[in-house]
Amino acid sequence: MAMATKGSNRAVPYINVTPLIDVLLVMLIIFMVITPLKPTRFMADIPAQRDPNENIQNLKPNPLTLVVSISSATDLKLKLNNHDSPLPDEPCNGIVPDYGSVNDPSHLAQCLHETFQKRFNPPAFKTGYETRTDLLMEQRIEKTVFIKAPKAMKYGDVVKVIDAVKGAGANPVGLQVDDLP
Amino acid sequence: MGMQAGGSGGLQSEINVTPMVDIMLVLLIIFMVVTPLLQHGVSVNIPRDTRYAEEDQLINKETSVIVAIPNDGEYWLGKKRMSIDDLKSEVDKALSSKEKKDRIVYVKSGIGVSYGEVVRVINAVREKGIDQIGLVADKKKGAAPKAPGT
Repeated sequence: MAMATKGSNRAVPYINVTPLIDVLLVMLIIFMVITPLKPTRFMADIPAQRDPNENIQNLKPNPLTLVVSISSATDLKLKLNNHDSPLPDEPCNGIVPDYGSVNDPSHLAQCLHETFQKRFNPPAFKTGYETRTDLLMEQRIEKTVFIKAPKAMKYGDVVKVIDAVKGAGANPVGLQVDDLP
Repeated sequence: MGMQAGGSGGLQSEINVTPMVDIMLVLLIIFMVVTPLLQHGVSVNIPRDTRYAEEDQLINKETSVIVAIPNDGEYWLGKKRMSIDDLKSEVDKALSSKEKKDRIVYVKSGIGVSYGEVVRVINAVREKGIDQIGLVADKKKGAAPKAPGT
């Protein structure tokens, strides 16, 4: 009876599924990797449109606002407040030789970081935040940085600079869109 | 001899993989269906490997306004390509129901696009009183979540 129903020499009707599972697992992993997990972005402020009737002479520039500019689309050198290298009275003078270029903005980031640190003592507050003791010191210090880039530049390079500036702690970052070269 | 080699009374030492294959297939199909749905609009070569980009789940929301610039002179709002003038009115229409602080336009631009094109879009949207934009960029995996010294 045993021989008649299940013998060792009879073909076993069993499919080998191991390769199938292998292929499925690999495909599953590929799709899980492709699926983007969390979208990220840089927040940037843009100035309101200029009123043509407004008298520019009456506007007072904020001395604490920093402007990072890129000199030209070809040499990609970074400037802070229109200077290539730190001025003698600036915090990072002597630490970095210049502000570097778009491809290596680490000097600029270091300088901005030093500048922001110095603003804690004595505190340099944002306008309107001098008496807001309910907020953290971090949120009251003026850390506005404007970015000014020539129109011929590649967008990818501008984002590199924004990344470095954000990394130095700037908040908010503004994009200057008027009077670009 | 027949009994010893493969009798019905012997222990079956095979794992039953059928349920596992079932689950795998279902997962696979789910991922295959979901993946194209997650991408809204055109595909753009956005900046990659940035370190300090901030997470924002709103980008994937249907209601948020995303302007894509895959190439110079090409402006897409969601899945529709349009001229810069149409873009102005469409953005205004889409954001008019939102509160002032929620009026954010996301700009998804390719890395090879010239910055002037991005500025053109910014100029167009700020005519409509928008003062915040989000530059969509991919964050490098495992990068510092917070800036140093903040």
